[in-house]
Amino acid sequence: MSATPSITAGGALEAPPRRRIPGQVVLRRLVGALLVLWAAATLCFAMQELSPGNKALAILGGSGARPPQEQIEATEEKYGLNDPILQRYTRFIGNLATGDLGTSYQYKQPVTSLISEQVGPTLVLVLVSTLLAWVIAVPITLLTAGRGRLRSSFGSGFEAFFAGMPPYWLGLVLLVVFAFELGWFPAIGGTSPDALLLPALTLALPLAGFLGQVTRDEFERGLKQPFAVSARTRGASEAEVRRRHVLRHALLPGVTLTGWAIGATISGAVLVEVIYARPGLGQVLVNAVSNQDLPVVVGITMLVALIYVVVNLLVDLLYVVVDPRLRTATGVA
Amino acid sequence: MKPSLKSRLTALAVFAALAALTAVVSACGGSSSTAAPANTTSVVGVGAGAKKVEGTPVKGGTLVYGTDREPTCLDPHNLGDMPQTYVARQYLDSLVSMQPDGTVVPWLAEKWNISKDGLQYTFYLKKGVNFTDGTPFDAEAVKANFEQTLDPETQSSTNLVYLLPIYKGVDVLDKYTVRINLKRPYSPFLDVLAQAFFGMESPKAMARGIKENCVSPVGTGPFILKKWKKGQEIDLVRNPNYNSPPADANNQGPAYLDAITWRFIPDPSVRWQALQSGEAQAIFNIPPEDFAAAQSDPNIEVQQFVHAGIGHYIVLDNSEPPFDDLKVRQAFNYAANTAAAVESAYQGAYPVATSAISSGTPFYTAKYANLYPHNLAKAEKLLDEAGWKKNANGVREKDGKQLTVKFIYGSSPGETPPAELTLYQNVQAAAKEAGFEVTLVPQPLAQHNEQANIPKDYDAEPTYWNCPTPMCMYIVASTETYDSPFANMSRIKNPQLDQTLLAAAATTDRKKQAALYGKAQQIIAENAYWVPMYPEQTLLGISKKLKGVWIEPSEGEPILSDAWLEG
Repeated sequence: MSATPSITAGGALEAPPRRRIPGQVVLRRLVGALLVLWAAATLCFAMQELSPGNKALAILGGSGARPPQEQIEATEEKYGLNDPILQRYTRFIGNLATGDLGTSYQYKQPVTSLISEQVGPTLVLVLVSTLLAWVIAVPITLLTAGRGRLRSSFGSGFEAFFAGMPPYWLGLVLLVVFAFELGWFPAIGGTSPDALLLPALTLALPLAGFLGQVTRDEFERGLKQPFAVSARTRGASEAEVRRRHVLRHALLPGVTLTGWAIGATISGAVLVEVIYARPGLGQVLVNAVSNQDLPVVVGITMLVALIYVVVNLLVDLLYVVVDPRLRTATGVA
Repeated sequence: MKPSLKSRLTALAVFAALAALTAVVSACGGSSSTAAPANTTSVVGVGAGAKKVEGTPVKGGTLVYGTDREPTCLDPHNLGDMPQTYVARQYLDSLVSMQPDGTVVPWLAEKWNISKDGLQYTFYLKKGVNFTDGTPFDAEAVKANFEQTLDPETQSSTNLVYLLPIYKGVDVLDKYTVRINLKRPYSPFLDVLAQAFFGMESPKAMARGIKENCVSPVGTGPFILKKWKKGQEIDLVRNPNYNSPPADANNQGPAYLDAITWRFIPDPSVRWQALQSGEAQAIFNIPPEDFAAAQSDPNIEVQQFVHAGIGHYIVLDNSEPPFDDLKVRQAFNYAANTAAAVESAYQGAYPVATSAISSGTPFYTAKYANLYPHNLAKAEKLLDEAGWKKNANGVREKDGKQLTVKFIYGSSPGETPPAELTLYQNVQAAAKEAGFEVTLVPQPLAQHNEQANIPKDYDAEPTYWNCPTPMCMYIVASTETYDSPFANMSRIKNPQLDQTLLAAAATTDRKKQAALYGKAQQIIAENAYWVPMYPEQTLLGISKKLKGVWIEPSEGEPILSDAWLEG
């Protein structure tokens, strides 16, 4: 979204992009975000409509349920399952707009309270993994990028290896080695702090691989940029050039990627939560999908859509923080 | 593994119904019996029932119990899924407690009697018992429980299907006497009531409505539900005032343990690891691949319990070709080689079933078990006689039609874990030798739920039923349940079988019941209506530090109020 700053070679030489008045920008963004959410909601509704199977049966207990016919009919009546489609659609959108996500078929609890109970552990996991990914990726880039063939290959080899690693497999390996064999971490620690590291690493390592890859490319290009050269001529040490000038330049694609990664990590959390027996949205979503608990599926989908939208707005703001060129441009405009 | 993940709704249920809807053969003249506590030593079920334990119980400590699936509602009057009954047993008491032979002993009911016509069950309740919210347990409370269970608002398919067809009403005779009136005699009624699905809950708590009662039900049991941390665990603490244990409990006072952490660990290997590392002191369902290791581990005790009911079996569609022909059904039974299939798929952790009902069911008889051991020659001969001839590809044909068997199953790994699929593939390969072309058709859950009840969409499909009585046969094989969903999926119509089972429901004479249930098993086995695979099983892995655990026989619920932790 938005005027993506030029991050390609020579970007520093281009004129800073002109920015609109922030108020107008914010308004446009918000309208855009609402449209995205409305589209997501409509898609959810369509999926509900198209999903096969008797919804009353799902409400009455899913696969193993043996409800009598009268009970099925009473349930269809109660949930308005036989109302005309337009009526159901407007009711659905209207409820969403007022923050009413309905009642879980399985749990008989409001979806909003189910989500608010479970969202905490998942957000903690996602945020810690994302931070951890940066903490792993940045030093490796700083230490290896543009530092000769051997170091460089080592760094990019490490990144390629982890970027391609399936989290499910990685999670099991970490669990077997560090919890089962070495006993350093609990196997079923739940939400206790000492049980956070392994699940967070499971999500962070592949992400660190990705982040490292894009950061390294940009970093190596940056080292050859005129601004790096001029910094050196001003007498800045190589370490300072790398840290203060080139790294800042190279972080932009990674920041963009992070916006995407936070959404993707929530889906990745599903597997991790099952392996490590952690509570969270992932487990709830898996149960909901397999039991056709549509209100919960829709509720979590809408939440993830919302998170994507919010994170992308934040990423746009973050550009300004990371890239001083944008800061002046905005200030001047 | 399989049983654990699967969302098995109380299959058990229906049978009650069954007996029900029918114009039952009433009037067989039940004898008035003041229930005599059964003698607990006659163990029929494998591994079930209270056992005498060596050692002196120690008070205190928190038990971490690792299990697989998390219930969606902790009030077992709602829905009726197996994980509900396992945990509910820890905080709810029932009216009676079932014994492995199908008799019952007193629990919240001190004694009871059954009217001559089998239509009135009068319960004399224990006095001085309170729910853990302070509400007294009395006849009004029992009445409230039956009413809540039958209220459609609770969406309890289990109990509606169970009770509705036979239940007429409840009368409070005095503060501690309550009478349940039935529309029709139903002799397994007491066994049904023993399940935690019919545990007694506080009327005050139930009056809050389903939304709250699902999260914090209140009983009279040995533990109190303190907190449900969804996705992680249920925290239970000792009920210090517990004074209503069943007559068969070793511990007649409050529980020894301070607390139980009922921890959900969906991954079987992590669960097993948690037991080995000591993070959990007991786990539900040891993974089959670790079963041998568990048995040889000196620090771990394995308790294996075979559930009552039909167990896991392959439904054959008796209403259409090819399985409308007895010879073809027999041939499939001979050819399937389920013994080897189960053995290889579950690596010896699961016993093989060979009869209409599981060996853990009251009135099970071995007389009609194993009628169809693997015998390719007999299978081939029967198919030849039935007119199915092998073609060049080794598949049999008759009138230009191939002997194909469409075998449908739910494709999600929860429904059909890898080992279970291996089992189907083993059967597929074995049947092929006799000339059956079995096609395995995986289906998403929603599609499977629909097609599982439409005989033209399948020739065979796997299913299972848990229930504390052999009357379960009536659910899966009666004319009355012919069109009910998930009931008579084999589409069996046999008036002789119907009458035999209804007669068993109408008598409380155990000798007569034994004869009638035996005859029903004979009819089903001789007609080769379905292919038994293996019984539902509970495999508990228990640390040797944890003493006194046993498994009750109605639903395989673990009894932890008798347990204690050593050092």
